[in-house]
Amino acid sequence: MATARPVVSIYNFENPSEKTGTMPMPVVLQSPLRPDLVREVHRDMAKNKRQAYAVKPKAGYDTAAASWCTGRAVARIPRAPGGGTHRAGQAAFGNQARGGGMFNPTTVWRRWHRRVNVTKKRHAVACALAASALPPLVMARGHKINQVAELPLVVSDGIQSLTKTKQAKETLKKLGCGEELQKVIDSKSIRAGQGKARNRRYVKRLGPLVIYNEDNGITRAMRNIPGVECAHVDRLNLLRLAPGGSFGRFVIFTEGAFKKLSDIYGTLKSGAPKKKGYTLPRAAMANADLARIINSTEVQSVLRPKMERYTHGIKRNALKSKELMEELNPGSTERRAVQLKSSQKGTPEYDEVQKKKKARIEESKKYNKEHKKGDETFYKTLMKAFEAKAAADAAKKAAEKADDEEDEE
Amino acid sequence: MAERYAISKVNVPEGAAVPELVKMKMEKEEKLAEEKKQALAAKQKAREEERAKLKERTVAYEKEYADTAAELVKLRREAKLNGNFFVEPEAKLIFVVRIAGIMKMSPKPRKVLQLLRLKQLHNGVFLKVNKPTLNMLKLVQPYVTYGYPSLKTVRELIYKRGFGKVSKQRIPLSSNDIISDALGKHGIHGMEDIIHEIYTVGPNFKQVSNFLWPFKLSSPKGGFVNKRHGYCEARGGDWGNREELINELLGRMN
Repeated sequence: MATARPVVSIYNFENPSEKTGTMPMPVVLQSPLRPDLVREVHRDMAKNKRQAYAVKPKAGYDTAAASWCTGRAVARIPRAPGGGTHRAGQAAFGNQARGGGMFNPTTVWRRWHRRVNVTKKRHAVACALAASALPPLVMARGHKINQVAELPLVVSDGIQSLTKTKQAKETLKKLGCGEELQKVIDSKSIRAGQGKARNRRYVKRLGPLVIYNEDNGITRAMRNIPGVECAHVDRLNLLRLAPGGSFGRFVIFTEGAFKKLSDIYGTLKSGAPKKKGYTLPRAAMANADLARIINSTEVQSVLRPKMERYTHGIKRNALKSKELMEELNPGSTERRAVQLKSSQKGTPEYDEVQKKKKARIEESKKYNKEHKKGDETFYKTLMKAFEAKAAADAAKKAAEKADDEEDEE
Repeated sequence: MAERYAISKVNVPEGAAVPELVKMKMEKEEKLAEEKKQALAAKQKAREEERAKLKERTVAYEKEYADTAAELVKLRREAKLNGNFFVEPEAKLIFVVRIAGIMKMSPKPRKVLQLLRLKQLHNGVFLKVNKPTLNMLKLVQPYVTYGYPSLKTVRELIYKRGFGKVSKQRIPLSSNDIISDALGKHGIHGMEDIIHEIYTVGPNFKQVSNFLWPFKLSSPKGGFVNKRHGYCEARGGDWGNREELINELLGRMN
């Protein structure tokens, strides 16, 4: 990560308020943070120290039980043979029977252990180390590091030669770990669950992990301090660096160990000298600042401008809304106004309409006078047709009557 | 397009130091706002011109409708005067409404109804009268009712229930811009243009009626007579061609 601190101070173990020197930050502590990877590797690694448990193979089946079959007014479950005892005739074998075997008996050939790829394990350790160098992550894990001068906390090599626990405790307190150690002591309580009866009576929180290069007594000095653990830098364990799968353990490095980190892990270019064929993990994104990327000129210059969305609102009916009608049909309001005026007495439009009406009536009268006069009015033509038919009917009747009279005669 | 730029106001408190990215954004937004203002002014001017033209066209259309009606009256009178018969002009425009539901539909009529865009009960479309469309209607006679809409019916349908097909979406015709964008290249820029093209079955009838989403009509107030039988049957019914009387039905369905 380009934004990591370049240099780490080394604190004098005898007088932790003074610095004895500085050291460049090893590249391993700048690895990308992958909580998912650490969780996955931890989950699988943690399964490897398990001891098998199972029921006895013959449990529930160590009888010569056989079903009585049908016809004896009892259920068909296998029953213990013989007589003379309560046990005789009792149900056996099934998981529902008293003294029978369990459903799906637990077996020792359950796959207890998991193998994890070596590279994955190494990446997880690098990731966990990087997390231990970041105060927010260490605090999030629950460690009390308010009084600690700096993370990563590097102490001069003298600490490796401590032999007395009392001295070790003093040193740690002077380094600012007092609150952390007190937290561990206060947290000791009886375990919830059956573990308390299985020699795992007490639980307490974890304190700092001290990583050393040369053990000149440090492990023995530190081992009785509750919560403190020691680890050799050559043999770092993910289960200690990321307990429970959560990275950000509070780690105290000795100067020698810190220097050795660069020797073990190397850089992204060189690879890891002490781990054959291994290079530290690379981040998926070189620049993870999305806001900056999006707002950069390189990106913005090829984007089209943001557009307003089309909003259509509620559909309104132009036949009801005069405003909308004017919008859709420009000029409709004034045409309508003219139309309305033409029915109001006294307006020029009204006079116009009346003039036209008068002219039409005149025309009609003239036409009628010309074409529909005398016998050609509507009524007369109608009656003419009727009378013609009436006359024809009368003639026919007269003719019939004449025929009848003739017949009579 | 520039008139639709979304300009976001960046709030900078008085006297505060402006971060670099915010400054860049502010400059960019200023430039876009300027472009937007100019585009809006140009759009306003174009809109006014367009509206003036549309007004003239509308007046011309009204005159055209009145003239054709008057012409027909004159011809009828002339024929009566001369003792001739006036042959009414055959209808050019049909409005088809789907009467039948979607259940238990035979494949052939189902396909024809899909082709006519009558996919739902009481959907209606305008149709040009020609041999192919008449043959299609023959196939779906018992499932539709159709007739010759009057100008009033056409206007009311389009104003009240007119929706357009804009990038495959059903958009209400709430503004002439929508029509202009879609049909401008055919010379149709407003509602009255659409009505004229539909009613007089102009050269761009296909484009206009395809632009119009199929009309979703209400059930007729007062009900149907009997959807199972034909309109022309003695016992009374609803399906088939009811010529001019479609206007009465549409008045109740619109």
